[in-house]
Amino acid sequence: MISVENVSKDYGRQRALYNISFEVKRGEVLGLLGPNGAGKTTMIRILTGFFPPTEGKVRLDGKDFSKSPARIKSRIGYLPETVSLYPDFRVDEFLRWVAEVKRIPRKRRKADVEEKMACCGVEAVQRRLISHLSKGYLQRVGLAQALIGDPDVLVLDEPTNGLDPKQIIEIRELIQELGRERTLILSTHILPEVSRVCERVLILNQGRIVAQGTPADLDRGLRDRQEILVRVAGGAAASLDHALRSIPEVESIEKQASEDLTATYLVRMLPGEDLRPEIARRVVEAGFSLLELKTKSLSLEDIFLKLVLTEETTEAV
Amino acid sequence: MTGSWALLKKDFASYFRSWVGVLTLFGFLIMSGIFFTLFVLGYGQLSLEAARQAYEGIGDITLTGFIMGAFLLNLGVLLLFLVPFLSMRSLAEEKRSGTLELLYTYPLTDFEIVLGKYLSLLTQLFLLFLPTLTYVLVVKFLKAKVDWGIIAGGSLGFILLGASFLSLGLFFSSLTENQIIASGLTFTSLMLLWMLEWLVGFLPPVWSTRLGGLAPFAHFRDFPLGIVDLTDVSYFLCSIVFFFFLTLRVVESRNWKA
Repeated sequence: MISVENVSKDYGRQRALYNISFEVKRGEVLGLLGPNGAGKTTMIRILTGFFPPTEGKVRLDGKDFSKSPARIKSRIGYLPETVSLYPDFRVDEFLRWVAEVKRIPRKRRKADVEEKMACCGVEAVQRRLISHLSKGYLQRVGLAQALIGDPDVLVLDEPTNGLDPKQIIEIRELIQELGRERTLILSTHILPEVSRVCERVLILNQGRIVAQGTPADLDRGLRDRQEILVRVAGGAAASLDHALRSIPEVESIEKQASEDLTATYLVRMLPGEDLRPEIARRVVEAGFSLLELKTKSLSLEDIFLKLVLTEETTEAV
Repeated sequence: MTGSWALLKKDFASYFRSWVGVLTLFGFLIMSGIFFTLFVLGYGQLSLEAARQAYEGIGDITLTGFIMGAFLLNLGVLLLFLVPFLSMRSLAEEKRSGTLELLYTYPLTDFEIVLGKYLSLLTQLFLLFLPTLTYVLVVKFLKAKVDWGIIAGGSLGFILLGASFLSLGLFFSSLTENQIIASGLTFTSLMLLWMLEWLVGFLPPVWSTRLGGLAPFAHFRDFPLGIVDLTDVSYFLCSIVFFFFLTLRVVESRNWKA
């Protein structure tokens, strides 16, 4: 539905994005992930038609953004990073105005505004001045204005930024709901958000795509060694160490925690076939009782840190 | 153009919900009231003296000419102080608060945005000016004969002068996100333009005639006498268009490739 082709963006002499290409399919929820200053907002602004890229093209259903900007903009709903709306307007008044600017025919405006207010849960505050709204409600009104006119694509820049935990959960649920029927692009630096909401993730760092795929893909691709947690009871620590080290693939064994009679070890080994049965057998043979055995999967957070940090070290060299 | 119309409505509404708008209106009404009163009193004094002894050329002074002509001329000077307050918010405030980002992503062309902004400033100027026309009724009450040429010419001149100042103000408002800087730049430029007539006196004649032609008040002065010169009208129209397109360029500059 959206295709980004070799997009670069310069701010004066500073290059903010380097040769970015990706596609977003209809109905997909794409997460743009990256540390602050990675180029997320720049990418988002290009996607919303705020400004064009320095090089490259963005297409919506095959139509070049730069050719008919106004028509394309009417198909995109945008929630900026810092939601700022006209403070001296009432919520309903403001949304009706947005409907007018978005060229909704006069007859449909009222119905559209009411529908979006209901959808985003701002009916209760519709008569209030925008300057009197809490941050959470402001975000909801921001979402409502993005939704007016039923755009095909919804672009949200850091939608949960600056909200309290309860509001974050509420907004996230709302986003999940919205993502069910719409193409949604979401930028964030908060990791759980991505794994919870997005079907596909694109990790940006210093203006480049460093990884992309489903959260599970990223997980698999990055795991260059297996990590297995083993919790045992009884026996002597030295003998366990000995028993496991005799497996050729095992690289290291690390004691992580020990309580009265149980101890937890982290076993690192080279990738390959699943060695859990082998480990279980050896543990029992060495005279321990095996309490727990599980593969430790890298969380998105680990992947993210790993990518971003490796990038930085290579850059430093 | 629907976009410009929507912007106009929004700006107009928010203008009168802000203290700046109300204070500007209030200040303008008070100042214009004082001016008018002074000229009415001045005319009274003049006619008293004329009754005692006849001046030469006293017969050329008419009521409308003396009161309304001078009044409208002075309103023009008041614009120097008024316009920076009207125009400073226009684009600067939208930039500062971040709402301009929304506008840029709504289906509006840059031309529509600038046009909407400019038209809303013009509407505010009209609205400020409208009440002062009630003074015409006062003049009419004082003496039946009103010289409509002076009033029409003066009003047209005032609106043209204001419109060209607003265009300049809009331009400075597009350059910064700080209202104070926007109004400061506007005020300084307007002052320089105002003083241009005197400043060029110190220059060699080749320069003084060329630069002197840029002084807005030199073009405004004839309007309150009831003289509408096409040169003057086109001077104002040109400066409106000039600053309008400069503003448009500034707004479009985010699209520049580098």
